[in-house]
Order: sequence, then structure tokens, then C-alpha cells
Amino acid sequence: MSPGKKLVAGAALVAGVTAYMAYDGAVRSWQYYLTADECLAQLDDLSGRRVRVSGGVAAGTLQIDARRLRAAFQLAGRSGQLDVVCDGPLPDNLGEGMDVVVEGRLESGRRLRAEKVLTRCASKYESEEQASSEAVYTADGRAGTRQTRVTSRAQGENAAWGESRGVR
Amino acid sequence: MRAIGELCLLMAFVCAGLAAFLGVSALVRPHRSMQRMTVLFGLTAVTAISAALGVLAYALYSRDFSFDYVARYSSRLLPRHYSLSALWVGQAGSLLLWCWLTGLMAVLHRCWSRSTPSSSRDAVFGLLMAFVTFLVTVMLFAADPMRASVVVPREGQGLSPLLQHPAMLIHPPIVFLGYSLWAIPWALALVALLRGEHDSQWIRAARRWALSAWTVLGVGILLGANWAYEELGWGGYWSWDPVENGSLIPWLTGTALLHAMMAWQYARVLKKTTHVLALATFALCNFATFLTRSGIFSSLHAFSQSPLGWLFLGLVAVLMAVGLAALVLQREGLRPERPMRSVLCREALVLTAIGALLLLAVATLAGTLSGALSAALGSTPILVGPAFYNGVLTPTGLTLLATTALAPLLRWNRGPTALQRRWIMACCGTAVMVGVAILAADPQRVLLPLVSGLATAALTALCGAVLLDGARREPAYGFAAIARALLQGRRQYAGFLIHMGFVCLALGVTGSSLGKQQQDFELADGQRVAWQGHTVELVRRYQRELPQRIEAAVELRVARDGKRLATLFPAQHFHRLSEEWTTEVAIHSRWTYDFYTIVHRGTVEDRVSLTLMINPMMRWLWLGGAFFVAGTLIRLWPGFGRPAARPSSVPRASNETASRQSTIPAPHRTRRIRAAKAGEA
Repeated sequence: MSPGKKLVAGAALVAGVTAYMAYDGAVRSWQYYLTADECLAQLDDLSGRRVRVSGGVAAGTLQIDARRLRAAFQLAGRSGQLDVVCDGPLPDNLGEGMDVVVEGRLESGRRLRAEKVLTRCASKYESEEQASSEAVYTADGRAGTRQTRVTSRAQGENAAWGESRGVR
Repeated sequence: MRAIGELCLLMAFVCAGLAAFLGVSALVRPHRSMQRMTVLFGLTAVTAISAALGVLAYALYSRDFSFDYVARYSSRLLPRHYSLSALWVGQAGSLLLWCWLTGLMAVLHRCWSRSTPSSSRDAVFGLLMAFVTFLVTVMLFAADPMRASVVVPREGQGLSPLLQHPAMLIHPPIVFLGYSLWAIPWALALVALLRGEHDSQWIRAARRWALSAWTVLGVGILLGANWAYEELGWGGYWSWDPVENGSLIPWLTGTALLHAMMAWQYARVLKKTTHVLALATFALCNFATFLTRSGIFSSLHAFSQSPLGWLFLGLVAVLMAVGLAALVLQREGLRPERPMRSVLCREALVLTAIGALLLLAVATLAGTLSGALSAALGSTPILVGPAFYNGVLTPTGLTLLATTALAPLLRWNRGPTALQRRWIMACCGTAVMVGVAILAADPQRVLLPLVSGLATAALTALCGAVLLDGARREPAYGFAAIARALLQGRRQYAGFLIHMGFVCLALGVTGSSLGKQQQDFELADGQRVAWQGHTVELVRRYQRELPQRIEAAVELRVARDGKRLATLFPAQHFHRLSEEWTTEVAIHSRWTYDFYTIVHRGTVEDRVSLTLMINPMMRWLWLGGAFFVAGTLIRLWPGFGRPAARPSSVPRASNETASRQSTIPAPHRTRRIRAAKAGEA
């Protein structure tokens, strides 16, 4: 067997294994990427599927438990709202009126069980150009989240523990 | 001030354009007076860009909010050193920085690169200036850093607190420096193609620049990962985000390019591949800019729908078209000069590694574009997750590790000697022993024994290569022989040091992704918790008020087996200006693992919510980066072992003596052959 043929055989082996593992990984991890409206329109077809949905946190619907490990809110599109429940770490700046991207699985009962909530800026606070450029550097593991100026001051003060008890 | 800045940009546009025109026209008809004019215009352009950069930096420093850019990214409360980093946080500022760095590199190359033939220097300078002109054009028409504020505000919007981190002071400029440096191998390759030069002369000039670019970009990527790990507070450092992938892909093709260059220089094969890789790496740097600024991910991230990204896509298309057309025209002259004789020679190894790197790069690109591609095909956009990338990384990474392990014991052009074969067997033996031992300790995980086995093989092979090299130089093994081998083969061993960096990186990536542990706890003051052999005690909570932020922190005392390990202060910061919270993690770092602590906001019945994590072998990742830098510095350091100026290409080593020597890179070979002949006589 000539060296060239041996190399081709080796390359075919590595490429084959890679293709199989890539396929396997893709099948396990792929998800639809939709806007809240698109998701609402196909809710029945998508039941039980992994999705990544973008939309706004509807005003007056956000409930965060005191441990900040669980949140429930409605994701607003133009045509309606989708119930979202999230267990797990929440972004520092999650607030009402924000644009968010929610990753998770659609459950029966028109509810989205989220594993991750990613925040991004509400466009009214940022011009598009600025948003784009900052995202280049703030994109983090949880995909391009960026802090915004939306978080209310009141929310901040509640959580700072020294304030009410005095500084130790 | 603004008018001066604007004027500087206009001047840079005109002068860089003229320099580009004159420089490129030197390809057709070189003329001495034109040479001077090219350099003069180029220098003027770079001076003008420097002045524009100075104007913007001064405006940021003096908080001149009449600049729209300053008003967006700076504020009076921002510490001064972060005011400077605002220079590259915004789109316009980062383009200006990139443009300036490219101009600077072009001048450095034009004036100091002695290995580039003088006939090519002007054309290379012209091409680089053409790229500078493109960047200035983009700034003037799409992202003007000197734009005036519509209404001058009294206070700026400030810098996102997430970006106020030391790594962010240097990470963006380093990545842009990497991109700028990759322009030089591209320009050298393109000029060689356009001039119909088929020898390896351009490679000798390009290798240094390519290695610098590779290290700088690699360090830039690692700094970004370090920032994500320490600042974003989620315990990870890499998540296959489009922004991260954008800079990883050119780094992968760049790694392939460095090795292809050596295969051309020492074995006279892979010539077309080298050209394609030089072209692709630079094109991919621009493609990364397109990815982050085109708006094709606008629905996913906060990226804009600006025309800027599409300008970069247009540039990529032009670059590919010109480069590939030139390559097709020159293909006859770029055939390999000799067939491959053995599968156990370095060029075969290089070919394998290039294949694996390209496979990884293409898969990463496909994954990054999966949403856009599936949308273009008319289906609902589909995104692939990290499992896809990790699936590709496992076999390709293992292949790369295996080629890295074997490299020191193989020669260019022919198979290994009997002694080298014995060492290869020894490497395989140690690899299997270590692998089996680790597998026996933890039979659940298969990947860790494989990686550790290959890492051991890499270390054994390097030791073997040094010993064999030493034995060839001195009759008996000994420190003197080894020292001489290391000193005389400095450049080669610097390369192997970088390989060791890659091995560390592989260990770090494998360890941290396989052995990660994490758990949430709620603790009251003075309470203790035992987890994973550690005892964590919450000593106290405290709060500090600073002018720009409130810091709410806890003091944690971490002990292991009764011995005090560390006192950590994870915190939450509330930034007054931007009214936002950031999580500040606290990490105790060791060679075996990182103890990573996060405190969450809010208290329930006087209990604080904490997340504790163990990330194994994280330090090895950063150590890998240190090896990259050390290896590159040793390789590029001028002085002893430097080849004398020699005519066009490496003399062919045709006799048996030369073939015995051929694990030593060509620059040392001539001298060594002479010495060996003297010895035989």
C-alpha cells in the first residue's frame, strides 16, 4: 500500500468518525430558533421540542423567587403571550420590558420550560449600532448577553444585604 | 478637535489610496521614484491614522461628549484606564484601532523585513495599504468615530460594567493585532502568486509574521476565555458562541498554514495548500467581522442590521476571487516536487494535521452559520448546540494530539531511523500504560485516558528527540550534549515547546469539561457545609459603598481535610451609573482544580444562596497560553542560530549524511552537514 493510499484511508477513518460524532451531537442538541409569534403560531406542532425563542418580558408578569433560582413570566410577541417557567440561574439584569432569548423545551399546556434565559438590550435604550459593537465583546458563554440599563433601582436595593441590617 | 480628527481620516483615505495604487502598480512596472512616493504616501497615511486615534483617545480621556462616540462609551465616573479601553469597545473605535495596527504593521514590514525580496516589498506594502484604505472607507461612510453628538450630553452613557475587567483592557487590541498580522502572510502569498514566483522565498519572510500572528491571536482568544471565566460568573470559559467561533476559525486555518509553510520549505510539497490557507486565513479574519456585524444573527444577539458587515462580506468575496484566480493560473508551477516516500514522515504528519484542523474549522463554520443556512434553505431556522461542536472536536482533537506527539521523532522527506522507530515504540508503550492506569482508576470516562496517554507520548517523544539529537552531536549522552542540542536546534525546540503548550491546552480542555462539579447551597452566617471533601464556612456578609458602585460580598473560608485552603470573597456589585448588577466570582486556583464560588443576590430568612463549583485543570489552559508565548519568543529572538542570508531556497540534502540530519530544520542543516563530513574525514 503506497503512503498516499494509507493517508487517504486514515483520513477517511477520521472523517467518518467525525461525521458520525457531529451528526450525533447535532441530533442531540439542535433546536428551532423562533420569534415568540412564530412559536405561538406553531405551538401544537412544536410541543415537546427544543426551541430557542426571542421576545419581550411582558410588563407585570415577571415573578422571581427570593433565591433567584426560579422565575416565571410571559414572553410577549405581537399576537399573544407565551408562559415561560425557568429553573436555574437567572441573568443579573432580568427585568420587565426586556428583550430576552429563552432556551428550553415546549411542554403541553402551551408552556415553555426554560433552561436558560439570555438577556439582550431593549432597542429603545440603545441604538442598533451601539448594540452591535458592544455585543462583539460582551458575548459570553450564554451567547451574546449584555447588561442593560433597565434593571430597576428598587430591585437593586432589595437585594443588597448590608443595607437594612447595617454594615458588619 | 473633531474637525482635526475628521481631516486626519480624510487625509489617511487619500494617502493610503495613493500608496495602494502606486504599490500595486509596482507589480506591473517597478520604478525607483515611485518606490519613494509609495513609502511617503504610506507613512503619511499611517501618521494621519495615528493622529486620528490620538484625537479620539484624548477626547475619551478629557470626556469630550461632543464626540458621539465618547458620549456612548465613556462617563465621568469611569476610571481613567477604562476610558482608554472604551477606544476599542465600540464599532467605530475598534475599526480605527484595527486600521492603525494594520498600517503600522505594513510600515514595519516595508522598512524592516530584510527577508522579503526588495522587488516584492512595494507590492506587499501596496496590498496592505489597499486594505487600510478599505478600513478607512468603511469608517468614513459607515462608522465614523468622529461623528458629532446631536445634543451634547452632560454625562456619557458609560462603559458596560462587564467590560470593566483587566482582560478587556488588552483582549480586543490583541485580537485586532492578530488580524492585522495575518494580513502580511496573505499579502506576501498573493504577491508571490501574482508575480509567478514558485520558490519558497516568500515563505521565509512570511513564517515569522505568521507565527507572531498565530501567537497573538491565540493569546487574544485565551484572554477572552479568561475574561468569560472570571467576569461572567457562570463557571465556563467557552460556549461556541458565534463571536468566539469567529476568531477561532482563522486561528485554526492559521495553525494549518504555519505547518503547510514548513512542508513547502523543507519537503517541497503542499504548495497550493499553503497559498489557499494564507488566503483563507486572512479572508476568515474579515469574515469574522462580517459575522459579528452583519445582522444575520440580529435575532439571536444584539447585533445590528448595519451595512458594515456586508461590506466585509464583499471584501471576502473579492479576496477569494482574486486569490483563487491567481492560484488557478499558476497551478502548473506549484506542483509538489517529490512524491511522499513514507507515511511516517513529517510531511505526512503535517498533511494529517492540516486535514484535522480544516475539518474542525469547516464544522465550526457550518455550525455557526447553521441558523442562516437552514433559513436560506427555506426551513425554520435551526441551530446546533455545543454537543455538535464537542462531537467534532473529540476525534479531530485526538488526531491533532497524536500528530503532535509523533512530530519530534520523525524526519522530513523519509521514514524514521531504527533508533527513532525504537523511541516511537517506547512512546506508544508509555501512552498505553498511562492510559490503562487512568482507565482502571475511572472506567466511566474514555476520553481522559486517551488524552493523558497521548500527552505522555508527546512528552516522551520530545525527550527522545532531544536525547537522539544530543547523541548525534556528542559521542556520549550527557548534559553537555543535551544543552548543545537544545541550543543549536533552538528554533526547532521552540516549535516543540509550542506543541507542549497545545498538549497543556488539550489536558485543560478535557479535564475541565469532563470533571466539572457544581452544587447550590443556602447558608446562614457562621454555618458550614461539607461538599466534595471541602468544608465551606460562611464567615460574614458585608457591604461596601464606593462612589461608582455598591459591593455586597460574603467571606467564605474553604478548608480541605481540616487544613485551611483559602478565604474567598465572592460578591455582587451594583453599578450606580448604569443601575445594573454584576456577579463577581471568587476563585481559588490550583494545578489540579479551581474552586469556583458564586454568591447570588438576595437573602431568604437570612440565608445567602451560593453556588460552589470544582473545575478541574483550568490552570493548564492558561499554562498552554504561556507556552505559546515563550515558544514564539524563543523562536523569533534574533541572534545565535540565525541563518546567514542564503540564496533562494534550501540546498537539497541528497546524500545519506544529510538524510540522517534531516530532523533538524534546514537553516541548521548546512552547518551540521559540514561538521559531520569533517567528522567522517
